[in-house]
Amino acid sequence: MATKPMTGQAFFVLTALADGPRHGYGIVGEVAELSQGRVKLKIGGLYGVLDRLSAEGLIEPDREEPHDGRLRRYYRLTRDGRRALAEEAELRAATARVVRLRLGLSGAEAAG
Amino acid sequence: MNGEPTLEERYRRVLRLLPGYYRDRWAADMVATFMDSSMTGDEDEDAWIFYYAKPAWREVASVAGLAARLYLGGAGAPRRYFAWGQAVRNAALAVLLVQAVRSIDALLRIAWSDHMFGWLPAAPWGITATPIGGIVPSAVWYLVAYAWIVSFLAVVYGRYRTAQVIAALAIVPDLVTLVYGEFRGVPPLTSVEPWAFWVLLNLTPVLALSAFHRDALPPARLPWLLALPALFLLAGVPVLTLLATGSLGWLPDFSGGCCVLVALACLAHVPRVWSRRAGSGVWSLALTLLAADAAAYRIISLTSYRNDPHLIAVSLVELLVLAIAVALVAPDAARAQAATPAPRPQPLPG
Repeated sequence: MATKPMTGQAFFVLTALADGPRHGYGIVGEVAELSQGRVKLKIGGLYGVLDRLSAEGLIEPDREEPHDGRLRRYYRLTRDGRRALAEEAELRAATARVVRLRLGLSGAEAAG
Repeated sequence: MNGEPTLEERYRRVLRLLPGYYRDRWAADMVATFMDSSMTGDEDEDAWIFYYAKPAWREVASVAGLAARLYLGGAGAPRRYFAWGQAVRNAALAVLLVQAVRSIDALLRIAWSDHMFGWLPAAPWGITATPIGGIVPSAVWYLVAYAWIVSFLAVVYGRYRTAQVIAALAIVPDLVTLVYGEFRGVPPLTSVEPWAFWVLLNLTPVLALSAFHRDALPPARLPWLLALPALFLLAGVPVLTLLATGSLGWLPDFSGGCCVLVALACLAHVPRVWSRRAGSGVWSLALTLLAADAAAYRIISLTSYRNDPHLIAVSLVELLVLAIAVALVAPDAARAQAATPAPRPQPLPG
């Protein structure tokens, strides 16, 4: 059965966890920064994504830490999550290369 | 501090929108994230926010959207929510199917009235399509008819958001006509019956199409595609024939026709229920939802027959037939959405 394509939100959440575990609000902030403010996750949307990624075995809880009388739960990538993110990144990079080629842009122009 | 709930308590109340199994797993962490996102780091300001601020409506809307997706579950959802999701999706598609068949019927009547079938005699009076008075140009009604067919096909082919947008646009001319009729006092638009039609058979399926989300199982394409010509042959052609021959005494009104159609569908489904075939419960639930929709429309449209005891009696018989038919599948529907134990939360490592 063909797997569903990864959504933009899921891609950003996985990327936010790529360099270490983060709690919910930390993921929201990191996604906003990674996307240069274009993706502003609402909390309902974030936990919809976290639930789906967790069910697919791409993320898992890491630990819980008390903060202001509440427990912050940290999430981390699983091995499958790391592999899925790497595959998705490769796919997007390949697409970006094709776009640059078709627009006649060099690497430097595209970066600038 | 003043007896009012704090921001944290307000967020906990908002999270009651979510199904219990999901709250058990995620609510505590969601509250922590909500509160983190609300605090500024300034002690005084944070104290004011904690005691007096209210949840942002966009966040509440995001939780409501998540709740809708979870209650109308797709693949991987607990059995109860999956059953509701599938039932609502089937019911929405069934209403779209009826709308598509009505559209084919309307387009054929227009074509016959306009002498596009040269080999047929001129259309009899009963066939002639006469749009109800209003401010919407005739050309728009052609587009509406095509829109329902396209919307139905779009769902069948997995283009859910396209289908919902097209259906949402298709119900606007009816709404405009109804509002215009209310302001100008144009009968029969001033009665409650056309409003009931708009809410129950236009707005409700458009909203129900939201159940076709990312996790939804795609509808079985071939059976639904075959259902379109099949329903037209079984329901549309007999209606056209009765209209063409002037045998209107045999023809129920549209709400009565809906009751009869759902009752027949329930009866056709009974053998599957009695044989306890897998998946019958989802269809039993879908048929129960359709029966509720049809019955509500039938009851509201009774107001049009206040002065006609015969038509009221006929309508009550239609309701009775529907009630008996749905009683045969209702126990199966109840079994399908019976609660099952929630999935266990993932244990934290360490």
